[in-house]
Amino acid sequence: MPKHYRLPGKKKEGNAAKYMTRSQAVKYLQVSLSVFRQLCIHKGVFPREPKKKVKGNHHTYYHIKDILFLKHEPLLETLREIRVHEKKVKKAESKKNRNLAERLERHKPDYSLDRLVKERYPTFVDALRDLDDCLSMVHLFAALPAVEREHIEVDRIHKCRRLSHEWQAYISRTHKLRKTFISVKGIYYQAEVQGQTVTWLTPHALQQVLPSDVDYKIMLTFLKFYETQLELVNYKLYQSINVKYPPILDPRLEALAADLYGLTRYLDASARASLVESIDVRPSGSDQNEEQQEGKKLEEPELRLAQLQHSLSSNEPGSLMRLVDDVREEDEDDEETKECRNFFKGMKFFLSREVPRESLLFVIPAFGGMVSWEGEGAPFPESDSSITHQIVDRPTQKRMFLSREYVQPQWIYDCINFRVILPTDEYLVGRVAPPHLSPFVDNEEEGHVPEYAETIKRLQAAARKEVLPLPGAGEDDLGDPQNLQGIIDRAEEIEAAEKKRKMAILQKQYLDELKMELESCQYHDHSDTSKLKDAEGPDAEDSLPNLKQIAEDAENMSKVLISRKKRKLLEAMEIGKDRKKAHIKLLKERKKRIDEAQKSG
Amino acid sequence: MKTLKNKKQHKKEGPEKINGTLRRIEQQLDQAADKSEDSSSDYDFEVVDNESLSEDEGPPSESGSEQSEPSGNEDVVSSDDDDGNHDDTRNNRKMDGGESDDSREVIEESDSSEDEVAPRNTVGSVPLEWYNDEEHIGYNLAGKKIKKKERQNKLDSFLASADDSKSWRKIYDEYNDEEVELTKGETKLIRRLLEGKAPHADFDPYQPYVDFFAWDDSKHPLSNAPEPKRRFIPSKWESKKVLQLVRAFRMGHIKFDDKPKKESNLYDVWADDSSLAERQGLAHIPAPKFKLPGHEESFNPSGEYIPSQEEINALQLIPEEDRPKFIPQRFEFYRSVPAYDKAVSERFGRCLDLYLCPRARKKRINIDPETLKPKLPSRKDLKPYPTTCYLEYKGHKGPVVSVTAESTGQWIASGSNDGSVRVWEVETGRCLRVWDIGEPVQQVVWNPLPELPLLAIAAGQDVFILNTGLGSEEEQKKIEELLHIETPTAPDDSDKNASLISWGPDEKHGGIRLKHFKTVSSLEWHRKGDYLSTLMPHGESRSVLIHQLSKKLTQRIPYKLRGLPVSSAFHPIRSIFFISTKKDVRVYDLLKQKLLKKLEPGVREVSSIAIHPGGDNVIVGSKDGKLCWFDMDLSSQPYKVLKPHKKDINKVSFHRSYPLFSSCSDDCTAYVFHGKVYSDLNQNPLIVPLEILRGHASADGRGVLDCKFHPRQPWLFTAGADSIIGLYCH
Repeated sequence: MPKHYRLPGKKKEGNAAKYMTRSQAVKYLQVSLSVFRQLCIHKGVFPREPKKKVKGNHHTYYHIKDILFLKHEPLLETLREIRVHEKKVKKAESKKNRNLAERLERHKPDYSLDRLVKERYPTFVDALRDLDDCLSMVHLFAALPAVEREHIEVDRIHKCRRLSHEWQAYISRTHKLRKTFISVKGIYYQAEVQGQTVTWLTPHALQQVLPSDVDYKIMLTFLKFYETQLELVNYKLYQSINVKYPPILDPRLEALAADLYGLTRYLDASARASLVESIDVRPSGSDQNEEQQEGKKLEEPELRLAQLQHSLSSNEPGSLMRLVDDVREEDEDDEETKECRNFFKGMKFFLSREVPRESLLFVIPAFGGMVSWEGEGAPFPESDSSITHQIVDRPTQKRMFLSREYVQPQWIYDCINFRVILPTDEYLVGRVAPPHLSPFVDNEEEGHVPEYAETIKRLQAAARKEVLPLPGAGEDDLGDPQNLQGIIDRAEEIEAAEKKRKMAILQKQYLDELKMELESCQYHDHSDTSKLKDAEGPDAEDSLPNLKQIAEDAENMSKVLISRKKRKLLEAMEIGKDRKKAHIKLLKERKKRIDEAQKSG
Repeated sequence: MKTLKNKKQHKKEGPEKINGTLRRIEQQLDQAADKSEDSSSDYDFEVVDNESLSEDEGPPSESGSEQSEPSGNEDVVSSDDDDGNHDDTRNNRKMDGGESDDSREVIEESDSSEDEVAPRNTVGSVPLEWYNDEEHIGYNLAGKKIKKKERQNKLDSFLASADDSKSWRKIYDEYNDEEVELTKGETKLIRRLLEGKAPHADFDPYQPYVDFFAWDDSKHPLSNAPEPKRRFIPSKWESKKVLQLVRAFRMGHIKFDDKPKKESNLYDVWADDSSLAERQGLAHIPAPKFKLPGHEESFNPSGEYIPSQEEINALQLIPEEDRPKFIPQRFEFYRSVPAYDKAVSERFGRCLDLYLCPRARKKRINIDPETLKPKLPSRKDLKPYPTTCYLEYKGHKGPVVSVTAESTGQWIASGSNDGSVRVWEVETGRCLRVWDIGEPVQQVVWNPLPELPLLAIAAGQDVFILNTGLGSEEEQKKIEELLHIETPTAPDDSDKNASLISWGPDEKHGGIRLKHFKTVSSLEWHRKGDYLSTLMPHGESRSVLIHQLSKKLTQRIPYKLRGLPVSSAFHPIRSIFFISTKKDVRVYDLLKQKLLKKLEPGVREVSSIAIHPGGDNVIVGSKDGKLCWFDMDLSSQPYKVLKPHKKDINKVSFHRSYPLFSSCSDDCTAYVFHGKVYSDLNQNPLIVPLEILRGHASADGRGVLDCKFHPRQPWLFTAGADSIIGLYCH
């Protein structure tokens, strides 16, 4: 009897009992493959890798418990109902019963996924931890056109836009943004919310390409879940800063496609309203004045209504407590948030019309700057004399205000990433800006440090005032580029000296080690070595390759005895290391070539 | 609709029918001119854009011109289009019963009004675009071309239209090639038509119906059938349908609150976080986060990240699946960055990964590679062992194939491809003796007994046993006796071995010469120095022979071998014989004459074996550079497989007293290992690589051909293909 033969009626055991293939699962659940797929996506069920693939290597295996988990899901029944309903509509249509078809279409069974969100993410932090894909997807769809052929509806695009703006408004308002990176693929943002690092990718604000080899149904299924997740997360986040959700936007700003700004205003207004409301003693504070001033320009009745509603709801005994909480929260902000909040403090930015507005409107306020743009509904006009920087992205700027700097958008992103206000010389209009570096890379670990990263490091050091400015130069002169150059030079010197010292230490260590090895292993007899030394005294160079040879031999010898499995592992490690080394070498070579070309050219 | 209108006209004309005079016809004509509804009604709803309007404005203009025409034209035959109308009117007339002929004439006149003016166009009903490129349009009766009117160019026509206040009612009739000015009445008519009303303002579509059929007078009813019952009872099917609907309303299948309003059901899902709801189901494996972008993904990376054109071209040679997905690019300004064309595809790929990719927890091996290497005892403790080349014995002209040490350790002998055998003094490196054998020497082995300083040499098909002339005089005597061979012994042997092996004196060198029938590849002395085994790889069933020196006898090993024999060895203590073929090593008991064991190294090709002086451990060197250590008590599989060399191992050997063994290979190195065998059977042998010995140069792709340990000292002799013998001392 073969080993795997099983008597009829005897239960399966092991991997055969624990795992089933996808087609088995579909059959077991009695649904179509598309419904199964939807279920898997919503429930977050994924195939698993069994130790032994009973049915063969080319199958996808699901754990039996996962499938049972799906089987007990009420959503399964809803999805079946939807399928039945679709059949009804189709039948009515083919019978030319248009009334019935329309009526049925209107009453399509729908389902909500909030319960599943809770199930998949039992705690709020779990949901935040898994927010990367969600945000990237929502941001992508916010930039896509509505295509009827692919069932990408306008409503969903709008919802995505709204959700993404709400998220950005929260991040911006609470100054949680940490890093940004403009890549060819889009703009990466990294925020830190409740201790979780959330990274997402936003496509460039341009017309997106819709490839035909993509199954949009799958993406829309994912999107459905992600929308719910992000909405619930937003709700919770807004609640945490005492703002009503969903926010009611100023319709005029909405019409001007300045949703984000509208949201920010809303957040500010509601926060202020709660502040004002709770401190009844001085109702006409400076805040109120400010509000009135701004209100003259923009406030629409709806917005005011929203504020009123909010203040009413907050006009309860707990509101004072909440305010206290709020204050404490601000105090509790970690060092980094504080730094971010005050990073662009006192700076006023103005965006020219060619600059991608959405990203900068999000980023600048997140770091405490004030920003305006060309167009209706902007908080302050271009002619405002207090503007310190104007962001432009064009070959030449004709009319210039002397009081402000005209910089390219890259300057903002670079400043943010390295947390230092960089000198604007290299980012001026029409200049080719220095390379834009990724803030997500640990240069030391990578092994290759781009030149500009080193420059920035020096600037950072200068900004931290590790190097004291030259005697006689006041603190105010620190911003002066020439002085800065001096500081950089000094910083460089210090750094070089430090490097040299480090190198010396390393070298010494290496030599010591070699010596130790020599002594401990005693490759030569003492007499022999001395003899050798006597013989080869003058040309000590010869002993160097000898040492190398010895080291290599030791390496080889230690490898001789390793078991095959471990040797393979070691070799694999070495391959990885070699590849990395080769990459670094390539980079260094290219860099050298470029430098030479620059020197000669 | 047409018939109805006609009917209405009849009604109107009804009272006037008595005066069937010409005057009335004229009146009617006027009316028709105003309306001209019948003939043009075909086009009513097409008058939408200018072009069709210009096409269709023919009839009114004609009817306009009709006024000036004499009424004598009224009998002109109507066109094909109007045939149906005529039939209708005729039918109506029949219905009318005895209506006057006048009315018929009137109707006919109004119907055919468009035909009253002879069209100037003679092309007939062919598409006009056929004449687009021509200067003319049709031919006149004389057969001459009718020239088209010259059209103004657009600018002129525009200027003219700007000047002329009436230009808006001027229309170009393409068919007749003329410009027509619409009258006020006509524009009014067109406007009404555009509004979808009846063309004539006076026409009342809702005038009271006068039943002119005299029902009462008819003697016979049109149908004599009685009224059916269904006219009197309520419809069953209707009531069923109603019932169905009512039921549907009650059950809620049909709802009136269309578009159920979507109220946002937002709430704080995580309100009771404190209850610590656990995730259900199996342990969740979170999907790995996407890789964060490096410097090369930047829109403006530093120069070293951008591949040159050649590098990009080189990428095309790589198969597509191995090609890097992303090639860094540089855009000088942020404004010149285009939309990423793979944005959707990449996100889609991520989606697929999320729900289709099998997930498993993998332990990331984050270990120092050094920890993978086994912990070995310090080599310092394992001293002494050969480390440095102390002496080199030079003298051979060809590659030194074999080297052997005398049992006292004072002498070594070596054989070379140049056909010479030399005896050297170990300490001084002095060459004591040289024999010229004449054929390339395969192997040289010294007799293990110290009192018998004999040398066995394998060269070609012969094996020589030579007296080295060392030792005391007594010993020399003994040796002389031993080596003495009477000539008649040879035929005796030939009886047994069919004259394949012949024992005979060697005149040239003064020793014994054993003639074999095939090339001898290897020799081995028994520990007692009396027996000598020779190996002929192509000797088939007689490939392994054992010679007895004292009796000058030869016998073959009575076992069948599978594969070519490579090497043989005697057990150092017991009467056990090892023969290795290319695949495996066979162990025979010589007394019981049976196979004891078969060792399977599992290597490509065995090249040599060596037996540990204890007799329980065997090392096997192979041509793929592997060295297998067998513990015979443990298993027939190797206890440990080492791969010290990159090329073929030529020889392996054990030290007789020190726990050392060595291997030499074609990669010009010899390895020295520490191989300690414990008397405690529970403890496995300890193997430690000690030293890599270099110094030989490669010749013809061969490196170190032989290695032997000094019998007393931890020294190693190596014979190189570069015709040098090296002595490595500790």
